[in-house]
Amino acid sequence: MIRRTLRMSGTLLTMLVIFGPLSSLVIWSVAEKWYWPHLFPQQLGFFYWAKVLQGDMLRALRDGFLIAIVVTVLTLLITVPLAYVLARLPIPFKPVILMVFLLPQAFPQLPVFVNSTTLLYRVNLGGKFWGVVLIHMVGALVFAVWTMTAVFKSVPETLEEAAINLGASRFKSFYSVSLPLATPGIIASTLLVFLYSLDEFTGTLLVGSPFVLTLPVYMYRTSVGYELQVASISALLLMVPGVVLLVLLERYMKSEYLSMFGRI
Amino acid sequence: MRLSLRLACLVIALPPLAIVVWLFFLPFLSSAHLSLIREDQWSLRNYYLVWRLYKFDILYTLWIAFFSLAAVLGIAVFLCGYLRVHVNRPVEFLFKIPLFIPFVVVGHAMRVLLAPKGTLNAVLSQVGLINMSDPPSIAFGWIGIAVSLIWKNLALAVLLVLGAYRSVDETFLEAARNFGASTFRQIKDILLPMSRASLAVAGAFMFTSMLASFSVPLMIGSGEPPQMVMIDVFYRINYQMDYGTANALGVVSYLLAMGVAGYYLKTITQKEA
Repeated sequence: MIRRTLRMSGTLLTMLVIFGPLSSLVIWSVAEKWYWPHLFPQQLGFFYWAKVLQGDMLRALRDGFLIAIVVTVLTLLITVPLAYVLARLPIPFKPVILMVFLLPQAFPQLPVFVNSTTLLYRVNLGGKFWGVVLIHMVGALVFAVWTMTAVFKSVPETLEEAAINLGASRFKSFYSVSLPLATPGIIASTLLVFLYSLDEFTGTLLVGSPFVLTLPVYMYRTSVGYELQVASISALLLMVPGVVLLVLLERYMKSEYLSMFGRI
Repeated sequence: MRLSLRLACLVIALPPLAIVVWLFFLPFLSSAHLSLIREDQWSLRNYYLVWRLYKFDILYTLWIAFFSLAAVLGIAVFLCGYLRVHVNRPVEFLFKIPLFIPFVVVGHAMRVLLAPKGTLNAVLSQVGLINMSDPPSIAFGWIGIAVSLIWKNLALAVLLVLGAYRSVDETFLEAARNFGASTFRQIKDILLPMSRASLAVAGAFMFTSMLASFSVPLMIGSGEPPQMVMIDVFYRINYQMDYGTANALGVVSYLLAMGVAGYYLKTITQKEA
């Protein structure tokens, strides 16, 4: 009995810790008038939701999604073959290649991206859609290469050898044996790349501002400008894709896939 | 390998490598280069300026990172131990949520919660715990930043530490239980020592990420010194256009991350090789 009560209170405490900070966002998003120090707003309503859904935010939302889609497709196209090669073939300089794809995880991003921005402006991509896509791809590639290599490694090599023994070419054995078996892992990793791009802040702020606006940057601007309702609505919208993915994919997500998300 | 296969591998590896080298590796090197140049000449003046202007900010950043890391690991070690011994799926699921909430949103949420006229103070004032005419400001200071970093990183820590604990074989725990070991003893004497290596990697990873945190201090920082190092870099470039000092400060941040980064890179590549 005591044990069950303790367990229940533990779960409740966790809920308070996790949802407590987030709940103020919900309240602020529907607060039309809220004078301090009242516990609840004096006037509730969806005035700001209506306002937000016809302004700049929609543009930021649309651009952010567009960028995320392009980043995801490009990353997927160039990472799948590389991950397969890294997982299967004894290519030269493999440790060096792996190291290059780890560096961005191990060092602070901002001071590097400051100089990446200069490089992008030099080729006239600063403040442009494609500049933001490229800067997102740095992080996305690092994440995708590592997770997808792990996925291909988890497909038993013997299956492919069997196909090759039966006369299939390297490409055929990749295309009709390994690729289908790796598909679930690739899908999980792809969805996380999409989410990464959607949530990316530092690179977008440096490379895109003030011309390319995504939702995180928009939210930052409104929050710092004390448009608390607008910022809270954007924050809630930013949480939706992540939470949906979490609920859908919880069982498939291995910890290696997720450690990247300590950074965004 | 046959030549054609080698060529195919090269073609496959080139585009992703090119992007990461062009937009991370080269800029990484160029920060070292630019940090040594002042008014078009080689000089160490940028580092002198970093020392003069930012030494306290560096200490401040290290303090926040160490404090948050200690708190996160301290909580995660025991919380995960408990979750490993007595399975509790709802709690485990709840701790995954912050992983999917970006730092900017965490920053904004904590700003709304912890500001002088924020939600927390409003709740506390209802119960009469604080003085309404002079409400304490938790946000806009190091505690606000630390709380946000802890909240977000705890999710990651739970994920990694619990993963490490799960790979400890159940028979060890059973044996300990047969001798009457409490949950605490099972954590202290079995789970913790057996997953020390994974814990160190997780700790290294989180330490650099805290050191390099940018959006949280940007959202809830006070705008006045002391600031975290990443904010200094950003302001130095945005308001002063001073790339020399900003890059010197960047190099200092790489050096701070270096010890841990080296360890992290070594363990991960060893595991993969």
